[in-house]
Amino acid sequence: MIELIPGRIGQGALLILLIFAVFVASRTALRRKSKMRPLPGLDKLKEWIMEAKKLDRCVFFSPGTGGVGSTDTLAALALLRYVARLCITNDVRLIVANEDQNVLQITEETVKDEYAKAGKSEKYTVDSVRFISSSIYAYAAGVMGLLERERPAVNIFVGTFSAESLEIAEAGRSEALYQFAGTSSIDQLPFFLATCDLTLLAGELYSAQSYLTGNLKEIAWTIGQDAGKTIAILLILIGTILVTFGNQIIVDFLKL
Amino acid sequence: MTAQRRMTRWEIIIQIAIFCTGFFYALTYYVKVSEPIDLQTLSDNSLAYLTAMILTAFGIGMINLTRVHWRTIKLRRPDWKFSVVLIGSMYGMALFSTISSPFAIDPLGTVVPLQLIDAILPIWQFLYYNVLISINTTIFSLLAFFIASAAYRAFKVRTLESTILLAAGLLVIIGEAPISNLIWSGFSTIQNWIMLVPNTAGQRGILIGAALSIVAFSVRRMIKYS
Repeated sequence: MIELIPGRIGQGALLILLIFAVFVASRTALRRKSKMRPLPGLDKLKEWIMEAKKLDRCVFFSPGTGGVGSTDTLAALALLRYVARLCITNDVRLIVANEDQNVLQITEETVKDEYAKAGKSEKYTVDSVRFISSSIYAYAAGVMGLLERERPAVNIFVGTFSAESLEIAEAGRSEALYQFAGTSSIDQLPFFLATCDLTLLAGELYSAQSYLTGNLKEIAWTIGQDAGKTIAILLILIGTILVTFGNQIIVDFLKL
Repeated sequence: MTAQRRMTRWEIIIQIAIFCTGFFYALTYYVKVSEPIDLQTLSDNSLAYLTAMILTAFGIGMINLTRVHWRTIKLRRPDWKFSVVLIGSMYGMALFSTISSPFAIDPLGTVVPLQLIDAILPIWQFLYYNVLISINTTIFSLLAFFIASAAYRAFKVRTLESTILLAAGLLVIIGEAPISNLIWSGFSTIQNWIMLVPNTAGQRGILIGAALSIVAFSVRRMIKYS
């Protein structure tokens, strides 16, 4: 017995429409070999890591306090691969501090894999990728201590964060030369904007991977994503105008 | 530009599994299937298995902590004494929690002697309520000081944007203060307007953008488009 769940039919139809729009737009972008707008923060990352090498100081990376189910964490893991590659190529020590034991396994594998690819497996040590604690305040305390002891030149905080974001970012601010952050947690964005040199806001975080790899297919998909956003914004505008004039058609459709 | 490499057989199998799992959960959200198998129940049960798997992986975290700090102790690195405290606290608390706590493995004393459970309970209670909770609260309360220093940095008048931020921030602070109504009743009206109109509009803009990016990002992960 198969039946559509009432109240979710309209949402499902809208989702299919958006995914279709993303597909069509990304195909078009791929054919036209479209480019992404520059994300200055990501360009700076390379310069900062080079500066850490000059100063002989390490780079710190936090994938946030979210689990593997969080999209911010997945975006952070994609960025970690890029950061690890840069650090390993330039012989800069990288420290990754985890709050989630499942994320730990992935970050450990990612960093180990990049060391192996660079032919420097022997340089990987157990304290490169660490588990701090699964409690956010213990994690904050652990990271704050770590930042003070290791004095990294660059701190990267990317992923899902909650109350600990400001504590670790402020602790890092006193020692680090540069701080880079990225999250879609609305409540934490102001803290990162106040304490970090560069912050990736929500959607930019998901585009980071495409931008960094420079892969045409990835860039096309990101452009497709923007087409989906444009459709959603148009729908919001049309819906607002219709509701203002007493027409509930879009509202009723979403309640289907 | 990075060159596209072909996926290995294992990667293809894993990708198919990722797609099937993602599609299954998306399908059960929109469609109700009760026969021949109740997909909703299957989805709930598999989520419970997933939770169990995630909790099992907790041991890996403990192993990592032990390896990192054991190495620090072995190499007598600076602050190695803190590592001793950490390992001692972690295993000590784990032991006490296993014997006598709401999470004890044998609360009725079938195997573990009841005298031992009774003796350990006050120690566990002291460590949990008087030490752990107090430390957590202390770390949380540090936020107040960090907010002050971050706000000072953010509110420094350097550009037009930071000047607007400073003005808006001051109006919100004054409007929130109980004394503001005695000075001028308009402060709370302005504060409400700032919080409800520009603040909400900005937050919703970010939220809508993020939500749509999450959909696209998730679909990309599912089908491994790249």
